[in-house]
Amino acid sequence: MAWRHKRFRYRLVVWRCLNCGAFHHYETSICRRCRSNRIAEELLPSRAKLVTFTAVKNPPAGFESQAPYVVGIVEFEDGTRLLAGITDCDYEELKPSMELERVVRKLTQDGESGLIIYGYKFRPPIKKH
Amino acid sequence: MPRLSGIAIHGYGVYIPMMRIKASEISRMWGGSDSELPVIEKSVNNLDEDTVTMAIEAASYAIARAGISPQKIGAVYVGSESHPYAVKPTGTIVAEAIGVNSRLLSADLEFACKAGTEAMQLVMGLVASGIIEFGLAIGADTAQGRPGDALEYTAAAGGAAFTIGRTSDSVVAEIEFASSYVSDTPDFWRRSYERYPMHASRFTGAPAYFHHIVSSVKMVLDEGYSLNDFDYAVFHQPNTKFPFAVAKMLGIPPKKVEPGVVCNLVGNTYAASSMLGVAKVLDQAKPGERILMASYGSGAGSDVFVIRAGDGISEKRAKAPLVTDFIERKRYVDYSLYLRARNKIRG
Repeated sequence: MAWRHKRFRYRLVVWRCLNCGAFHHYETSICRRCRSNRIAEELLPSRAKLVTFTAVKNPPAGFESQAPYVVGIVEFEDGTRLLAGITDCDYEELKPSMELERVVRKLTQDGESGLIIYGYKFRPPIKKH
Repeated sequence: MPRLSGIAIHGYGVYIPMMRIKASEISRMWGGSDSELPVIEKSVNNLDEDTVTMAIEAASYAIARAGISPQKIGAVYVGSESHPYAVKPTGTIVAEAIGVNSRLLSADLEFACKAGTEAMQLVMGLVASGIIEFGLAIGADTAQGRPGDALEYTAAAGGAAFTIGRTSDSVVAEIEFASSYVSDTPDFWRRSYERYPMHASRFTGAPAYFHHIVSSVKMVLDEGYSLNDFDYAVFHQPNTKFPFAVAKMLGIPPKKVEPGVVCNLVGNTYAASSMLGVAKVLDQAKPGERILMASYGSGAGSDVFVIRAGDGISEKRAKAPLVTDFIERKRYVDYSLYLRARNKIRG
């Protein structure tokens, strides 16, 4: 259930393995990769660089109204990579290594009467004067 | 109501979606005249934006400007007439997303376009009484206008948030006085389960907007202030004409109103409207300058505030995007893309 991962989805809180570096988007006491129990909570930075991206034209159920939309892999300063929705930007404007910032957006909803799912996306930073 | 002492705005933040539709494009669709459009263009939220997401972004800037840990926030109030849920608070989602502690007061407020300033009043009361150290007052809306209705030209999307706490050195601004004037005036309403509001056309002017704002500003004058004490005046902005018209009634020159006008390029952001106007003034005010702020919410009422810019204004202003940064970040859509973005195409 999305709600159980809210700290990750809203704020990019992750649980990092201090032994092998793997991160978990849920609270855990044992690393899923190396089984170490040296786990620390960490807040990923709000800025990242775009590594690669694609336009989704045949969306999975729940995302039909938004297609075509862009998803990409972003990379943080420490090398951590994350799959993310890219918003407020046309596909043609995106370039590998461009800087993006994290925002919280409405991802999908469970029909007209179910829950609304919010979570992180990335977008080009607001240009400041 | 008494003058306040020791209540301050420590941070402010805004959010405006990037899509715009020109009023002339709406008039093209419905065969209206281009000669007297209420705004030039209005903001349109995308499919992945709503009152929750805009409130989160505005609130995160308000906290960044305040320079405080989110853990110090003791209340999150969100005023809106477009809360995504009929039952389930917007405030708790916002609080969680900006990292506020769960030991928190939170509620969603509804008072048409003055729900955001009502949030300010509640947070100010909690701060003044010492119950909380800091609180967030947020106004955000994705306003609904029925296709073809006069409201469709102006009903826009945006959010604004103020971090309010006790006065300390170098605050953004102090709130010197606040009051409110309300009456049962049925100028605009939306019944439960209805998608679009109804309004009483011309009745929304004289007995509604103008009467309530003039009455609330009179309370400021009764307190001993003179209109000359103010360098800026910000009123609720349902269209570009009304704030200048109410200023004229009160004897306030247009040059004091212009700096806070956002409606011409953003539209009517409902609960965010007057807060967005004040944010635009805070983007340019100098320490010591006074702002007269009067919101208006249909149904009806006006919250009035006397705000004086503080010594920390320039330093804190630089910590987040300005209102003009959002106004200039725009992409035009035509009427059909607007219908799609606002989820008005129903199969």
